[in-house]
Amino acid sequence: MYDREKDLISAFLRGQVDRRGLLKGLGAMGLAAGTAGTLLTMAQSRAMAADFDWQAHKGKSLKLLLNKHPYADAMIANLEAFKTLTGIEVTYDVFPEDVYFDKVTAALSSSSSEYDAFMTGAYMTWTYGPAGWTEDLNTWIKDPAKTSPTYAWDDVLEGVRKSCAWNGQPGGTLGSDDAKQWCIPWGFEQNNITYNAKMFEKAGVQPPKDLDDLVAVAAKLTKDVGNNVYGVGVRGSRSWATIHPGFLSAYANFGQKDLNVSGEGKLSAAMNTADSKAFHSKWVEMIQNSGPKDWSTYTWYQVGTDLGAGASAMIFDADILGYFQNGGTKEAGNLAFHGFKANPAAEAPTPNIWIWSLAMSSFSKDKDATWYFLQWASSVEHAIFGATKHDFVNPVRSAVWKDEMFVEKLKKYPGYFEMFTASAPGASIKFTAQPLFFDLTTEWAATLQKMVAKEVPVDEGLDQLAQSIDKQLQEAGLG
Amino acid sequence: MEHSSPIERVLRAVALTLVVLFFMFPIFWIVLMSFQTNETILRIPPSVVFEPTLSNYKALLSGRLETAAGTLELNFLRTLWNSIFLSVTSVAVSLLLGVPAAYAFARHKFRGSEDIAFTLLSFRFAPPLLVLLPLTIYFQQIGLANTYIGLIWVYQLICLPLILWIVRGYFEDISADIEYAYRIGGHSWFATFRKIALPLAGPGIAAAGLLAFIFAWNNFVFALVLASADKQPVTVGALAFVTASGIQYGQIAAAIVLSITPTLALALYAQRYLVEGLSLGAVKG
Repeated sequence: MYDREKDLISAFLRGQVDRRGLLKGLGAMGLAAGTAGTLLTMAQSRAMAADFDWQAHKGKSLKLLLNKHPYADAMIANLEAFKTLTGIEVTYDVFPEDVYFDKVTAALSSSSSEYDAFMTGAYMTWTYGPAGWTEDLNTWIKDPAKTSPTYAWDDVLEGVRKSCAWNGQPGGTLGSDDAKQWCIPWGFEQNNITYNAKMFEKAGVQPPKDLDDLVAVAAKLTKDVGNNVYGVGVRGSRSWATIHPGFLSAYANFGQKDLNVSGEGKLSAAMNTADSKAFHSKWVEMIQNSGPKDWSTYTWYQVGTDLGAGASAMIFDADILGYFQNGGTKEAGNLAFHGFKANPAAEAPTPNIWIWSLAMSSFSKDKDATWYFLQWASSVEHAIFGATKHDFVNPVRSAVWKDEMFVEKLKKYPGYFEMFTASAPGASIKFTAQPLFFDLTTEWAATLQKMVAKEVPVDEGLDQLAQSIDKQLQEAGLG
Repeated sequence: MEHSSPIERVLRAVALTLVVLFFMFPIFWIVLMSFQTNETILRIPPSVVFEPTLSNYKALLSGRLETAAGTLELNFLRTLWNSIFLSVTSVAVSLLLGVPAAYAFARHKFRGSEDIAFTLLSFRFAPPLLVLLPLTIYFQQIGLANTYIGLIWVYQLICLPLILWIVRGYFEDISADIEYAYRIGGHSWFATFRKIALPLAGPGIAAAGLLAFIFAWNNFVFALVLASADKQPVTVGALAFVTASGIQYGQIAAAIVLSITPTLALALYAQRYLVEGLSLGAVKG
């Protein structure tokens, strides 16, 4: 490498030149963008290796279990950098999302030592952690001998970081002082509004300001856009996944909860309050008037596909679902993003989040080497690589949201950056951590289906739901 | 001979056409989808008029799919090969073990024969996951986890009982007198089995083999739990087109067309044996 290039890269690593300036400078020196990127990755690996012995586990090998996802794709694209940095060989199995968690559960429940680390959702660790299938990663994070001084754990967004830590007590606050870090957040989704700007213009409406406005705007879009376009896409299948996106985000914005936790740590249903009933009524009305016809079958895929194909005018779901639909679809380029605050009295949006995380199997044969992979995969360096060159959005690292190239990339997604920054401070998991999470939330979704189908009035339905949940909690010794 | 009027014949033809259309329409629609891009498939309203493209098949055969969210690596052909290998070898092993066993159960009544036969049938009763989780632990201990041999062994849970019980019924339907006559001629029981029983039971064996092949081909959960990504069958591989960044409907359709082709070809070829074998083996006189 020539001295001029070396100097420029060193200046970047010292923080004297920003990323854009670096790549521009390297370009001016006659280096193609790909070569400049490779040089930069090499220099970053060298810089990471400067203060920490990344070669301590050289010659070892690890195996990962990954979900087929853009986050995994971005990591695989950068994996050579890890191998060069550490000398650790990494192999991986990628499974489609539809069967991914079956594979994880089968591997962990059979104490399989085949996989050292795996992708997981934070909710899943509420089962895996207490079962003894995953490790408390605080053991490594807090050990300076095993974690690089440049790792910057505090740079991970607080709400997201805490959402992956639980003390194992039913109802225990996420991220409490005694919480165990069951997984490391990797990439996450905030639930907000993605809308079709062209259709909004046609109907003469603005992005909704609050829940009442959302109900009204969705109805007007259904009436005025034409071509059988419906106003708002939300999930509706009989699954916990119906509750966690837009629904819970809006619900939490009104200060409502899923469960009460008493002073003695006993849990009870909290969804039959007067405020909750009022919220449910509006939500049900919105779906009845402006949702998809076969709403009760809607999952992530249908909500996203309809938005991309121009069958719906907006969605209240994961921001990255809208992000993915803004490329390669009929409506690509027409989509815009909006941080949504359901409660007019609230100061900011409070989205519930889904976090794709990395966890360490308790059956891993070499946990220290596995930790090397986990800290590299969740490092700022890899996050910037993934976010700027691939679709590693939303990164959980604050540093990436300050990276000029990433912010520039987001300009193709109108309102995305603003939506993110408005929502991120209030973004966290809004559910109460407890072992019956999947059962109780699925029942909540089933009740919602009955309300939308007018099989049961909202008030009565919520009372019945609360009664059933209380009974199950008591039977499980939690209530 | 019965004579039908022209009106009857026309009505019958119309009815048959309607039935064929009704049953064939999903396959016809899937074939059409396999020649379209995602954008044309998702048009509102859907239309049968489109500019055909081979991009879906090209992506499957080359193993790389370019999407808006980046390049998707596909292992579809590998999973197709895994399905062919696992199904063919499993059925072959089942035939090798199951046909002589079926003959023994049909011709030689011995102590505990019914119990053994029923135990083999009971393999089909247990929910697969209930069997698979303990099996995973054993397989890890004896080094069979994540191996083709281990999978073929587990596939016997699907194929062996099916072949054994269908072929047994068929052997029982063949008159034993023919075999006795051959034995009187000085031939061994093995020669009798090979020269008389096997040829007579041919259609039944073919039908049982074909059915076992279809069941093995459609299996999903065995390889998912017991093996790595490189040993997955096409039933798991086809799900790779359902990703967080969208569903690749065109590739799914092309994958369906490619994955049903071997079974369809085999079924069409052996259709005669299938119907004859199943009906003769199932009805006892």
